[in-house]
Amino acid sequence: MKNLEFFRNISIGQYIDSHSLFHGLRPATKYLLLLGLMLLAIAAPTLAGAGFAFFAALVLAQFSKVPLSFLLRSLKPIFPVIILSFMLQFLFRWPGDSSITLISLGIFSLTVRELWVVAMILIRAAAMMTIVGWFTSITTEAEAAKGIEDIARPISSKTLPIHRLALAVAAAIRFIPIIAGELEEIVKAQASRGADFGQDTKGLLAKARAYLPLFVPVTIRALERAEMLAEAMEARCYTGEGQTVAPKTPMKRSEVLIRFSVPIIVIGVLVVDVYFISTWIRPY
Amino acid sequence: MHLIELHSVNFQYENSAQPALQNISLSVDEGEYLALVGNNGSGKSTLVRLFNGLRLASSGTVLAAGKNPAERANLQCIRRTITIVFQSPTDQIVSSCVEEDVAFGPSNLGLSQAEIDVRVQMALQAVGLLEHAKRPTRFLSGGQQQKLAIAGALAMQPRCIIFDEATSMLDPKTRASVLSLMKELSEQGIAIIHVTHDMDEATQAGRIIALDKGRLVYDGKPEGFFTAGERPQSLSLAESLGLELPSVLKLARSWGLTLPLNASYQDMAKQLVAAAGQGKTGISVSSANGGSSLSQKSPQPRNDVLFFTQIEAIRYNNVRFSYLSGTTNEVMALKDVSFLIPKGTMIAFVGMTGSGKSTALQLANALLKPVSGDVLIFGRNTREKSVDLKALRMNAPFSIQRPESALFEAHAADDVAFGPRNQGLKGPALVRRVETWMNRAGLPFIEFRDRLIKTLSGGEKRKLALAGVFALESDTLLLDEPGAALDPGSRASVFSLLEQLHEQGKTILFATHSMDEAIRADLVAVFKDGCLMAFGPPRDVFYRDYEESWGIDRPRIVQFAMALEAEGANLPYYPVSAEEALSLFEAGRLP
Repeated sequence: MKNLEFFRNISIGQYIDSHSLFHGLRPATKYLLLLGLMLLAIAAPTLAGAGFAFFAALVLAQFSKVPLSFLLRSLKPIFPVIILSFMLQFLFRWPGDSSITLISLGIFSLTVRELWVVAMILIRAAAMMTIVGWFTSITTEAEAAKGIEDIARPISSKTLPIHRLALAVAAAIRFIPIIAGELEEIVKAQASRGADFGQDTKGLLAKARAYLPLFVPVTIRALERAEMLAEAMEARCYTGEGQTVAPKTPMKRSEVLIRFSVPIIVIGVLVVDVYFISTWIRPY
Repeated sequence: MHLIELHSVNFQYENSAQPALQNISLSVDEGEYLALVGNNGSGKSTLVRLFNGLRLASSGTVLAAGKNPAERANLQCIRRTITIVFQSPTDQIVSSCVEEDVAFGPSNLGLSQAEIDVRVQMALQAVGLLEHAKRPTRFLSGGQQQKLAIAGALAMQPRCIIFDEATSMLDPKTRASVLSLMKELSEQGIAIIHVTHDMDEATQAGRIIALDKGRLVYDGKPEGFFTAGERPQSLSLAESLGLELPSVLKLARSWGLTLPLNASYQDMAKQLVAAAGQGKTGISVSSANGGSSLSQKSPQPRNDVLFFTQIEAIRYNNVRFSYLSGTTNEVMALKDVSFLIPKGTMIAFVGMTGSGKSTALQLANALLKPVSGDVLIFGRNTREKSVDLKALRMNAPFSIQRPESALFEAHAADDVAFGPRNQGLKGPALVRRVETWMNRAGLPFIEFRDRLIKTLSGGEKRKLALAGVFALESDTLLLDEPGAALDPGSRASVFSLLEQLHEQGKTILFATHSMDEAIRADLVAVFKDGCLMAFGPPRDVFYRDYEESWGIDRPRIVQFAMALEAEGANLPYYPVSAEEALSLFEAGRLP
């Protein structure tokens, strides 16, 4: 570990404030795009469908002025997984796999079908990561919480008060960097007094033991800070009911267009992929 | 009708044996500006929470805005009338977006959206954050966040705002701007209740209420609180409570001068120069505050250059450091900083919040490592792979801000033992070590060893946390604002302990916002935006090099000496301590 600076500045994703058309969309519309493309990435049966989702995410990122290099860099953690699955495909074989064998080494072999499976995993994972990366780049924590509230409002009731729930979610998200900052401070304080942090010499168990003394002070500080926030909210007349609900301004034309076209495109691509491409492209 | 009225109010926390407030009666009127002072744990915060129903009195009557806060139905009316700004900026921000956060209060009142928009605009305008309306709150600086909290209070259109130590976590410049904002609001007719440890801030108020151990001990004009009786050795009420005098009065008092409360350094300088001009050697040095020993001091200032001839302890070579390096949110914290700290010196890091002080401290024990450049600790480069980080860190332990938040054992002595035990100490040797340092930190071992940490006061916890760091008996100490948020008494005792350690030859690096603490160091390093602006003995830094743009004040002794000079006094040298300033007069060197 290079530094003991691992927490303070973390955020859920990395919001990039570049004022594009997509930044200005309502949170619910952003969720629609997110879920639509994720559905496509998971459910499309061929490389073409999943590849379309990946490509669409890159195009969206380009239009949202999110640096592509930033998104592509986040794909790095996929590669160990890909190598692992590649190894597994090589070591084991599918029952009834009659596709062409590409490499063989004794009883181990790699067939076209196995290669296809690895490629599917790769493209799906890449698409998912890029989509999520794009979403968090254009959505603040506040919007993320508000989006949930907007989407869930129709089912809000006395027993399930969505507004309160959304506020709790928003507060929880806002608290992550705060608590992380506390943890970092305490790690530093303990490291200064000889606790094992930032050293790679000790075993896993010793490392785990070093973190144990942190549990108590971090928990206490988290509770204290939560209590302070609760008090501040109470002092500002928060009771959990009777808040003003901001009236809706009419949607922009572009936003209406996006809301209509996203489901059509997603379903369209899926249908084409399932009924035409998957019967047409059959590598095995 | 009074805005707030308390009659023989008592308050006791559920799990506490001692009442937090006893028999308090007071009233606050519309448009008043009052300061609430007292030591840590004297009940100030509890008292202000009674004012708006965040706590309910155990007995006695409380009327806020003419209503009883014990009735739930009254709470909304009370809390929109009497709002509160808390100490920690980050702990009172509800939303991730500036304007939404300001709108939080008004929308809880169920106002129309149009009305809310107007209020948000006005409140942000008043605190000067209008252009930040759409920004995420976490991108604001500490000072801006505190102003956001004030905007949130203003949007309720209150008749009274309570500031609960709301300036204590801000750097001097931001603090001054928040204070002038408070003054402005007061002029607009909003009552201000300011809870503070800073007596200069307290004198800005028209009325002072002092608490001691839960009892009201003073309620009246500031003059009565800070002025002593007729005899020179008698103490003012502020001093006898262990609180400080306002800075000018404090300095004047070390010469036995009596000045009016709102006197400036100029006034004091005038008086001294006039007295000296009339040949009055009788700038009467009172016996209070050890005046007699002061007169025996040599008038010569100590030799500042001496320090550079010694062994080097820590060296910064073209050090650059950034947080989140390699991401879009990269922040440069230090830019090409080079300087050298000789062994055995006490050095103060000063500068505004975010200037790089704390980063520089953490680089000095490898909690952080430079992005480029080198930090050498007694010749060892922190970037070398072979460096034993654990040994390095224990030889220059870093004490975080509010180090008490890292205490984790149940009993006091166990926590102090954590470090020495990691050094391999056991049995009687360990006990001796712990005993020594608890005693020296002002927590007698016999009395405190088995005390539960959670039952200690704020000041005691700070001392315990510092004892845990000192118990490592390291050559070097790194301390991030060791005196912050402590009452003046605890602050003084922490500093006298540091000075003792310094005299024993330890190298001490500390960051501070208080220039009066900084001037007591051998060397001062001034940071601004990650650059080292000045480095040297305090005499050079504060007299010769000082620039307004650093965003820090001059120490008060310096302000005073400058005032003396402006009055025409011919100073043979620039004093950096009250003793030195005094010897200017003793030796009859003034015209």
